Amino acid sequence: MALLKLENVSVSYGKIKALDNINLEIGEGRIVTLIGANGAGKSTAMRTVMGLKHCDGGKVWFDGLDITNKDTGYMVKQGIILSPEGRQIFPGFTVRDNLFMGAYLKTKEEAAETIDMVYELFPKLKAREKQTAGTLSGGEQQMLALGRAIMGRPRLLLLDEPSLGLAPLIILEIFEEIKKINEMGTTILLVEQNAKVALKVSDMAYVLETGKVVLHDTAQALLNSDKVQKAYFGGFAEG
Amino acid sequence: MLLQQIINGITIGSTYALVAIGFTMVFGVLELTNFANGSLYMLGAYLSLMLYLATGNFWVSFAGSIILTGAAGYLIERLALRHLRQKGAPKLSALITTLGMSMLLDNLVMICFGSESKPFPNKLDFGRFTIGSAVVSYTQVIILAVACILMLILSLVVYKTKLGKAMRCTAQNMEAARLMGINTNQIIAMTFVIAGALACISGTLVGMYYSSIDVSMGSMIGMKIFASAILGGVGVLPGAVVGGLCMGILETVVAGFVSSGYRDAIAFTVLIVVLLFRPSGLFGKKQINKV
Repeated sequence: MALLKLENVSVSYGKIKALDNINLEIGEGRIVTLIGANGAGKSTAMRTVMGLKHCDGGKVWFDGLDITNKDTGYMVKQGIILSPEGRQIFPGFTVRDNLFMGAYLKTKEEAAETIDMVYELFPKLKAREKQTAGTLSGGEQQMLALGRAIMGRPRLLLLDEPSLGLAPLIILEIFEEIKKINEMGTTILLVEQNAKVALKVSDMAYVLETGKVVLHDTAQALLNSDKVQKAYFGGFAEG
Repeated sequence: MLLQQIINGITIGSTYALVAIGFTMVFGVLELTNFANGSLYMLGAYLSLMLYLATGNFWVSFAGSIILTGAAGYLIERLALRHLRQKGAPKLSALITTLGMSMLLDNLVMICFGSESKPFPNKLDFGRFTIGSAVVSYTQVIILAVACILMLILSLVVYKTKLGKAMRCTAQNMEAARLMGINTNQIIAMTFVIAGALACISGTLVGMYYSSIDVSMGSMIGMKIFASAILGGVGVLPGAVVGGLCMGILETVVAGFVSSGYRDAIAFTVLIVVLLFRPSGLFGKKQINKV
């Protein structure tokens, strides 16, 4: 059974339809990518799953549970965690405090246990534990955002543009970590502008265009598809 | 003479600081200037007095009034501001709503209790003593002590507890706070309750200090708190405390050495000077938003 399932979900901003009858499934333990141009509805899909945006129609299922239009705190309790676009760390807090905020709904013991795991995954964060988060570099901030998301012990981790504004080498590093997080048993839904890198780590992918799913297949098939290459890899991207 | 003015100034300044903390907390969480804060201060003083006249027990009335004024703060948020937020209304609408709430409260109190000033019992009148040439009453000592204890408790709550962390997260980034599982609406409501309770305590203490209250005490303090918060740096807790104390001392010193007619004008002079030369206030930092 799919861990997350969107069934005929429609979402609108005023009169503009951001998502139009979307159907989407994510199997447990998988990495699934949403690709599409700006305004295709990728982030909206994630915000809808998190309950930050309510849908006008359709149902969202998580592990057989109807979570349509529940509030965000409920989603977090169920184990759905979003690492938002632009990282959105708490700049005035130290790295450690930021991480502990990620475990807001967990007990102290659980948090202490998870933070060791996060530090193992991102040794750089351990080194900068006491530093104010706002002073970190972009790559480190992204690691912190990922680490903070893991602190909530997600069953489903939503990552919105984890490569945004980062240098190519750092992007590869981040994606290595994303793969590791997945191997530890976390299901991941990924939204990426950088479609090629994303598809390489993914199992499945959905292509969105103006709020509709126009294509879905295994990531490998989409990587090789001419149509996708032309539309989303920007022609010149090689490697 | 100067010592006397400074002692009086610290006393009144500490009551400003209490209200300013509530004001600045609301600003920190919502970036909203809560004009109704002054009215809650007045409402708190009136409720304390009216409950006392009805029950005869001052301290029970005081406690009841703190709860009721906190509830009034909650209602402003729950009935008006939350809906505006959820509909995505511009911040200006919320600001004007607080102005409207302020007028509503002022006029409600005026209709219910009349517009003339009312004598207020001073239950803290335990005599006075002298330091050098200055006379200090125990009322002043108690007011200062209560203010200090409350500020201490509040800073412990804000900087040491989970609730305080959640408040500071909400202040820094409301959406990210929700993604952590924080119920931001609850946190905001909590902030309004604290602001209301602080305003009530301060209003009642001032009522006892001056032995009288009137409906217009709210609008004046609203302006002074606004000036204090700007002087200290809006949204910064220590700034509110220092701003409030400075405002109180300046006010009494000017009243003592220049003319008591200028007492209320000093707040606005300070406001203008700070805005001209240091708009972020004494403790405020210029925001650097790293993208």
